[in-house]
Amino acid sequence: MEIIRLDNVSYYYKAYNDDGTVGSAVGVEGVTLSIEEGSFVALVGHNGCGKSTLAKLMNGLLIPKSGTVTVNGLNTADRDNIFEIRKNVGMVFQNPDNQMVASIVEEDVAFGPENLGVPQPEIVERVYEALEQVGMAEYAKSSPHRLSGGQKQRIAIAGALAIRPRVLVLDESTAMLDPLGRREVLDVAHKLNVGGMTVVLITHFMEEVLDCDSVVVMDNGHVVRVGTPGEIFEDSSLLGNVGLKAPRTIALAQKLADAGFDVPRDQRDAGKLGGDVCQSLKK
Amino acid sequence: MFRDVSFGQYYPGSSFVHKMDPRIKLVLTLLFMVGIFFVQSFAVFAFVTVFLLAIIFIARLPLRSVLKSIKGIIVLLVLTSLLNIFFTKGVEGEEPLWAWRKIEIYVTGLKQAAKIFLRLVYLVMGSSVLTLTTTPVDLTHAVESLLKPLRVRKFPVHEFALIMSLTLSFIPSLIDETDRIIRAQKARGADFDTGGLIKRAKAFVPILIPLLVGGFRRAEELANAMNSRCYEGATKRTCMRVMKLTWRDFVGGFVVVAFFTGVFLLYGMANKWGNIIWLYY
Repeated sequence: MEIIRLDNVSYYYKAYNDDGTVGSAVGVEGVTLSIEEGSFVALVGHNGCGKSTLAKLMNGLLIPKSGTVTVNGLNTADRDNIFEIRKNVGMVFQNPDNQMVASIVEEDVAFGPENLGVPQPEIVERVYEALEQVGMAEYAKSSPHRLSGGQKQRIAIAGALAIRPRVLVLDESTAMLDPLGRREVLDVAHKLNVGGMTVVLITHFMEEVLDCDSVVVMDNGHVVRVGTPGEIFEDSSLLGNVGLKAPRTIALAQKLADAGFDVPRDQRDAGKLGGDVCQSLKK
Repeated sequence: MFRDVSFGQYYPGSSFVHKMDPRIKLVLTLLFMVGIFFVQSFAVFAFVTVFLLAIIFIARLPLRSVLKSIKGIIVLLVLTSLLNIFFTKGVEGEEPLWAWRKIEIYVTGLKQAAKIFLRLVYLVMGSSVLTLTTTPVDLTHAVESLLKPLRVRKFPVHEFALIMSLTLSFIPSLIDETDRIIRAQKARGADFDTGGLIKRAKAFVPILIPLLVGGFRRAEELANAMNSRCYEGATKRTCMRVMKLTWRDFVGGFVVVAFFTGVFLLYGMANKWGNIIWLYY
């Protein structure tokens, strides 16, 4: 079943020209996309390609200038639907520091349910369940600014989870983190996905795309390709055109395979790739 | 540069005073601050001193941390004391203690200065007992809860409390950012430590502008994050934190109220029967 549907969606930003007149800049243009419930979708593209715009269109933070976005059958352009839509689509942004509304972890996570008017005992229940899901329950009483970037971002995810959404949109949520923090956040995202959550991961780190069900490649406001990670990485001319690169190990595996070695083209584990090469040489 | 700035001066602990309801503590502190102005004689000041020391002891606060709060008002203390010493005229027939040309110092002035000094010091010490035993978050909740009756008068209580709590939670990251900008500007050769006042003030412009711009960017992102989490103002909003009164609040409240009832009574008595000397001096 599809949970989010974008139909020929365009969004333009107001932009000031050099002579001071107001023009417009393309955010996204003519995007048609469908996201299936329970899937793990990655949105990739280099900076300014419109992926964050697309994310903000998915929960009504932005309303399309033309075309329609529907979440679970509800049109985001209808203001009456907006809270129902945001209850369904949780969103986590890039900078963890700018998403914290309280100076104690549990109170920050409680912000969403408090807004929804959830009765007090259930808020506590939701907060601890959400913190449990991201593995941060022991930090419930801490102050977020003492935590690492990855931990803060997990708190932000817990904040979104406490609303009990069906879709989690991670808008470049790993961009500011160190590799360890990125790993933490991705592990949580995958665990949630296994539990049935639809995840939309927006990123420009191609390594993060490997485990996704499908990859949406964007360039200049347009969706240029939708496919499985394997398909996308095979198409090196496509990636080159939009300024992206396949992960190094995969690129190497592809080159080795092209050179006649008997290795899988989508081998992502450098150690295993080494083993494959040895096996192939022995033959 | 700003590393050692700690906002709020909460001193973690689990004493009787720490465990009291922040609302009660806030109200009692206000009572204390008003009460101090009704203390007129040194004898009663002695009672207040013992009372305050007892509270500090029960709260298990190191006296030093409470006294540290006085540092902030030292200029004020010196100024008001000097003004009182030099400008208080003696009572009729009183000989000046010391005189030089037109400057005269009377015993009354010295007493007056000492009382004002004590009042200000106790005022600050009393309020710092509150901030030392209560987290800023708890204080925010207390303010919100106490201001609730104003909601009837269309006063935006919830918004006010939210602004307070957002301010508190953004202070650490703004301090970090300031630190970062200063280092970045220093790395480019900016000089903050030499030159006259105007030159130094000017040197801060390249810090303030990025900080301001960054502040707007943060505000925008925060607004998006809050919207995404279904924020729509105070309507139908619930709150996770429940504040419950316990026996501590009744005991603590009773003791403080009783003490200041005593102070108010003594004040009344002193005014009525000014001849009870120990109440007046």
